[in-house]
Amino acid sequence: MRRALMVQLARLGDLLQTVPAITAITAADPALAVDLLCPAPLAPIGRMLPGIATVLEWDGVVWSHCAKATGSGLQSKHLQDAERRIKMLAPRQYDCAYVLNQHPRALLAGALLAREMISPRREGPLGGQLTPWAAYIRDVAVTGRGRQVHLADALCGICGVQPSGQLAALRRSSCALPGELDEIGQSEGRWVGLIVGAGDVERVVPLDTWRQWIIRFLDQDPRGRVVLIGQERERGGQLINSLPPSVLGRLWDVTGRTSLTELAEVMVRCHRVIGSDTGPLHLAAALGVTVIGIYFARARVHQTGPYGSGHLIWQAGEARENMPMSAGSIRPIRWPIEETVAALVEGRIGRSEGWTVWDSHCDRWGVYYSEANHSPTPPYEREALWRNMCSVVR
Amino acid sequence: MSYVRENLEGLRKTVPAFVEAVMSSAGNRLSMSSSREGSVTAKCDGQWVHSAYDPRKEAGTWAEAQRCEWKEGELGVVLGVGLLYHVEALAAIKPSGSRLAVVIPDPSVMKDAASARPMGPWFTDVEWLWGPAQAIAEQLGAYSTPLRVLTYGPAARLHAEFHQQLEAALRRAVSERQSGRLHVAVVGPIYGGSLPVARYAVTALEALGHRVSWIDHSVHRSSYDALGTYREARHSQIMQGRLAEILGLSTITRLAEDPPDLVLAIAQAPLTLAVLEHLRKKKFLTAMWFVENYRHLTYWQQLASGYDYWFVIQQGACLEAFTRAGARSVAYLPMAADPAIHKPLALTEAERAEYGADVSFVGAGYPNRRALLPRWLSDEWTFRLWGNEWEGAADLASVLQRCGARIDTETCMKVFNASAINLNLHSCGGDRLDPDADFVNPRTFELAACGAFQLSDERSLFPDLFTDQEVVRFRSVEDVPMLIRTWLNNPDRRRAVAEAARRRVLGEHTYEHRMKELLTSIGVRQPDRIGALLRGDRDAGTLAARAASVPELSKLLRQFPPGQRVELKDVAAGIRATGSGRELKREELLVLLLDSYRAETRDLV
Repeated sequence: MRRALMVQLARLGDLLQTVPAITAITAADPALAVDLLCPAPLAPIGRMLPGIATVLEWDGVVWSHCAKATGSGLQSKHLQDAERRIKMLAPRQYDCAYVLNQHPRALLAGALLAREMISPRREGPLGGQLTPWAAYIRDVAVTGRGRQVHLADALCGICGVQPSGQLAALRRSSCALPGELDEIGQSEGRWVGLIVGAGDVERVVPLDTWRQWIIRFLDQDPRGRVVLIGQERERGGQLINSLPPSVLGRLWDVTGRTSLTELAEVMVRCHRVIGSDTGPLHLAAALGVTVIGIYFARARVHQTGPYGSGHLIWQAGEARENMPMSAGSIRPIRWPIEETVAALVEGRIGRSEGWTVWDSHCDRWGVYYSEANHSPTPPYEREALWRNMCSVVR
Repeated sequence: MSYVRENLEGLRKTVPAFVEAVMSSAGNRLSMSSSREGSVTAKCDGQWVHSAYDPRKEAGTWAEAQRCEWKEGELGVVLGVGLLYHVEALAAIKPSGSRLAVVIPDPSVMKDAASARPMGPWFTDVEWLWGPAQAIAEQLGAYSTPLRVLTYGPAARLHAEFHQQLEAALRRAVSERQSGRLHVAVVGPIYGGSLPVARYAVTALEALGHRVSWIDHSVHRSSYDALGTYREARHSQIMQGRLAEILGLSTITRLAEDPPDLVLAIAQAPLTLAVLEHLRKKKFLTAMWFVENYRHLTYWQQLASGYDYWFVIQQGACLEAFTRAGARSVAYLPMAADPAIHKPLALTEAERAEYGADVSFVGAGYPNRRALLPRWLSDEWTFRLWGNEWEGAADLASVLQRCGARIDTETCMKVFNASAINLNLHSCGGDRLDPDADFVNPRTFELAACGAFQLSDERSLFPDLFTDQEVVRFRSVEDVPMLIRTWLNNPDRRRAVAEAARRRVLGEHTYEHRMKELLTSIGVRQPDRIGALLRGDRDAGTLAARAASVPELSKLLRQFPPGQRVELKDVAAGIRATGSGRELKREELLVLLLDSYRAETRDLV
């Protein structure tokens, strides 16, 4: 049996963007056994990815120590130790490694763990030339141009497969949450998960915006509940402290108190999850929860919007269909508080000054985004792009 | 009951002469008594050599602390004998592949130890080093294994002088075999007398083959001066202090961009305790050469615990004061000269007329100089006074040159070379000779390096540096006119003395000697880090020989010249330069992988 290894050593959001590629690879060759190499802290999520047989955990701290040990002079034992660690990860080499990010260590790990490597670079870890799909992703990131192909679908292109157009949901079994958190989602009413922070400080929605949003939502929906989500416990505490006592009985704060598995459980118990372009937002989408994305700074809906159908995304800036957006950082002048609450509570999507609103759809070329309140129109260039760059187009 | 014969019997075969020396010694240097816990303990000159309560436990704690530093493969050299509890404890936990040696300055103490209690099998596994300090140092210096000096203070105190001699001899012996290259960052002051010393240190380190990052803060002098012009002195002080803090942060940034093996600060370098603690947290090794009189400039008290290594120009009370203030390591390192700058000059007649005199003095107008120099003016000789800060010195106005302007190094060298007798009066605050006359100033070495004759006031640290035949000294103010008269009338003897002084400087007292000694001193204390680098353990040739079991690595290393220091990043850079477009070997991939982690930005700033 042929064995393949998906290598994704970046962050949670990037790991989730690999799901369409894994789905497409396993669909193209059902006999192929596919394993995943991901950062050790993300292994619990890695094990949920559909189509993955085994997860190899990459421990960056241990490798840092190995590198530090060479400070006493590079010796045979250092390379022998590194080789031993590679062998511990995978005693047998894989037939093929699909490396989905360009960081040197991901490319090197792929080259060490597999006989053949499919990656964004043409000529191995030191090759300077990018494959066409990798060059496309780079150009889009640099120029902001191009809204045809989503990052997750472009990763399929790098792997030489075409996206299936459907998001396979993560595999998970429900689990009990610790203590009072187990009450989340158990009572009736609309439960909304709110992602309070972001790994990238540029993508953090101001606390006061979230404060106003929570007050507005709980006012508009008397049976509504809000769950504060994320790793930023201090920020969650600040938000709680800023709210009037009258709303606190309808608020759960799980920030910094959940493992990734528990976070997934919290999310699936919510009816909606709202937040900026972050790993947890993509996790919610991958779990099949409908999300509301608030995209600003350098986040662009067409590149990294939540994957799958039915998601709503507010995009800062004057992004119109078939018009290029600037690649720079967009700082909103105002936040779409009333609009997102109205969409959530009443299903009404109105005009939003300084923002455009998009909903997500999937077809045979992957995911695309169409302006809300308009009939969905897939970007016509996608098919041409796929036919141009990929020999496996069906 | 004495255990001496029983204990020493096992050593007879291997070191018979040592056993004989111990047996024939008088013994009784230590006075024995019983500890609370019941085992024998000892005092010497009224002070405990081991714990009065539980000497084994105390020795165990000490040994554990040493073990943290003592690396596999190093020869542990114990200073301090006592009753050998600490040696026994060390022997029990020594790293695999390491050996243990004990220095025996006095066989009598060894006799006391061997008499006091029965020793176990460890006793014959230890290497006993005895004899003159020089001989022991040569023996240790000849070992190829790195040395780790482990000092048991309470017992080492008995033979402090012997240990100092041993360490000095050991530094000399070790430095002879050093071939490795370091990267040293030298941090200089914003201004002042230590600024040229910092420059000389940079030149010397480069001449020794080390890579130097010169962090020159004198470029900020004009800003520093501008911040000193506020009406209120308090404001100036605050603003100048803030600038110094910024320069400290600037130093951290420079170090982060190109991390050195050692950060060497010269006195007055603008590094605060907070900066030094930050550097320690980030594993930088720091040293300070404090080329100042510790009694006059006392800011070292706030910084004592901040540097890993202090080097000072005074001994005795100075070393004790630094240790009391929290210095981890403090050693004597006297001033020096730079023969490329301080040298004999062929002067023209015009220059001799302009700069020469029977007697000259170059320096600033400190109180003792203002009081004493007028007493040495005479109709019998011409006298010229050079330098600044002489305002109001009316009785010296007739001999003061250039209206008391500051003179540069070039002029200074011309004066030294053109004068028959150069007076060298160390500065102090009173109206007499310096009552705490210990350190020898830079001018002494500079005059000597120029081949210029000097009359210097006596200093207690002169004997180790210059003999009477190299630098003529006066011990009282009254002796000076007679000495001037005598030496003015003996030009040949003057020349002979001056040439002898120059030879001594060139042989022992240049900044290259000092930098070599400074690095060796740190290397002896850090055999696994600086010591290893100085030994050349990171040179391509050495690494390639060690990598024989992985031929591909050995091949990668042999691409560099054997004497070139090679780090992981260099090997990785070599692979990157040649690896594009070809299939990389497994060892190359592993090197690149490790390097990708090494290259992660150090978050220093």
